[in-house]
Amino acid sequence: MKKTALLLGAILLTATAGARTFDEIKAAGTIKIATEGAFKPFNYFVGKKLTGFEVELGDAIAKKLGLKVQWVTQPFDSLIIGVTQNRYDFAIASHGINEERAKVVDFSDPHYCTGGQIVSKSPNIKTAAQLNGKRVAVQVGTSYLSNVQKVKGAKVKTFPKDTDAVQALISGTVDAWVSDKFVVLDAQKANPKVKWQLGDLLFQEKIAMVINKGNTSVTEALNGALADILKDGTYAKISKKYFGTDVSCK
Amino acid sequence: MKENSSLNNVLWILGLVVAFPIALVLIGYGVKTLPGLLHLSYAQQFADNAQIFVDATKTTLLLTVTSGVLGIFLGTVTGIAKLSGFAPFRWLASFYVWVFRGTPLIVQILFAFNAVPSIVPSVVDLPDFDFYAPMVALALNQGAYNAEVIRASIQAIPRGQTEAARSLGLSGIQAMWLVILPQAVRVSIPPLVNNIVSLLKDTSLATVVGTLELANAIDRFKSQTFLVIPSYVTSASIYLFLTTVMTLFTNELERRFKTKSR
Repeated sequence: MKKTALLLGAILLTATAGARTFDEIKAAGTIKIATEGAFKPFNYFVGKKLTGFEVELGDAIAKKLGLKVQWVTQPFDSLIIGVTQNRYDFAIASHGINEERAKVVDFSDPHYCTGGQIVSKSPNIKTAAQLNGKRVAVQVGTSYLSNVQKVKGAKVKTFPKDTDAVQALISGTVDAWVSDKFVVLDAQKANPKVKWQLGDLLFQEKIAMVINKGNTSVTEALNGALADILKDGTYAKISKKYFGTDVSCK
Repeated sequence: MKENSSLNNVLWILGLVVAFPIALVLIGYGVKTLPGLLHLSYAQQFADNAQIFVDATKTTLLLTVTSGVLGIFLGTVTGIAKLSGFAPFRWLASFYVWVFRGTPLIVQILFAFNAVPSIVPSVVDLPDFDFYAPMVALALNQGAYNAEVIRASIQAIPRGQTEAARSLGLSGIQAMWLVILPQAVRVSIPPLVNNIVSLLKDTSLATVVGTLELANAIDRFKSQTFLVIPSYVTSASIYLFLTTVMTLFTNELERRFKTKSR
């Protein structure tokens, strides 16, 4: 009886244990970073290897902090929940900074700036107004979803992954797709036969890393390392490799 | 006595027809008011989204009913074809069951939605393609499972029944239709109900192609509010409620067929 009570107590304790502070991570020597792994060119798999702009950025930040990295890949809409449950120390997965998310997690300084682009196969769908009455594909749990929902008359279709949303656009089962402008460029490059029509940016946004609410020591460490790699040219090098240009917020 | 039972049947069918609209109203009312009655902090967020949940549940039910009916039809045709004396029918039926029972439903739904438009481009002009694509996939999948149920039920009827029917001068088709099938239907009801209940839950897989059914609506809600436990509890409760209403009627159906056979 006593044993069971002790065991239960131990389980409850671990369940309610807070996020690891930066000192605790430093002592352990390994930082656990989460990403989606299906958001080319930011985080994706080449065969078995996880790679992409954000993955290399995460590696560079960890290196600056003198830590080894353990990568975790999760569906995008589970990432913030995983952060709040301390399943990993932070997530770097193209999370746009917005109010709803800021209620439950903290954001680092932005690690790149971008916008949500309207894409279609018709020259008549380029602006937000032209989305009226059209079927628009977006990934569930993203800031693209909340922004498209604000567009008057747009019929929102949500997909678990952006790769599914773009497939729907290519096969014509939706009229438009709204996603990150760099993701759009990448999709365009990968499918040259499709007659892409790039429209307006529906909105601008700052993208940042996501840390559990109140875990300031980790947020500060990440901000410091990000500033360092921005200064010493590591950031620019990684950015040029993926985009041919520096995508940092200026 | 006979009139009474036919009145009973009419009432039963009437109940079945109105049960789900009433269930929808109850769900909407429950989602809107229950969290408030329990003084939960997120009551307002649920109240604001109640209508979306109801609309999505409607899609879930519509998907279940349409693909369920189609699935039973396909299953009956295929099940009988599997017992046909004409070999090509048997091969065709076996091939269909082999493919649709042997591949994951999620792959079938993705195929219907993403691959079919590259083969037949005009289907994307259908007004509700993101409803019809998963519907057809679900129906074909159900059909494959139902086919085996129907075949087994027919085979469960003793051979002597066919022989007796034939020796009374009925043709093969008449014997099947008038003697074998009515008895087989009774045997097949429990496993068919089982398949329909699975189907109701399997409609949640249509999320992958963006169909706004219950699972998708809850997913959107969860990813906007980050209310993990309340979201899943709500979605599980609604599914449980729907399957309960469904089994209420199918249990009654089973009971009716049982008394008739005795």
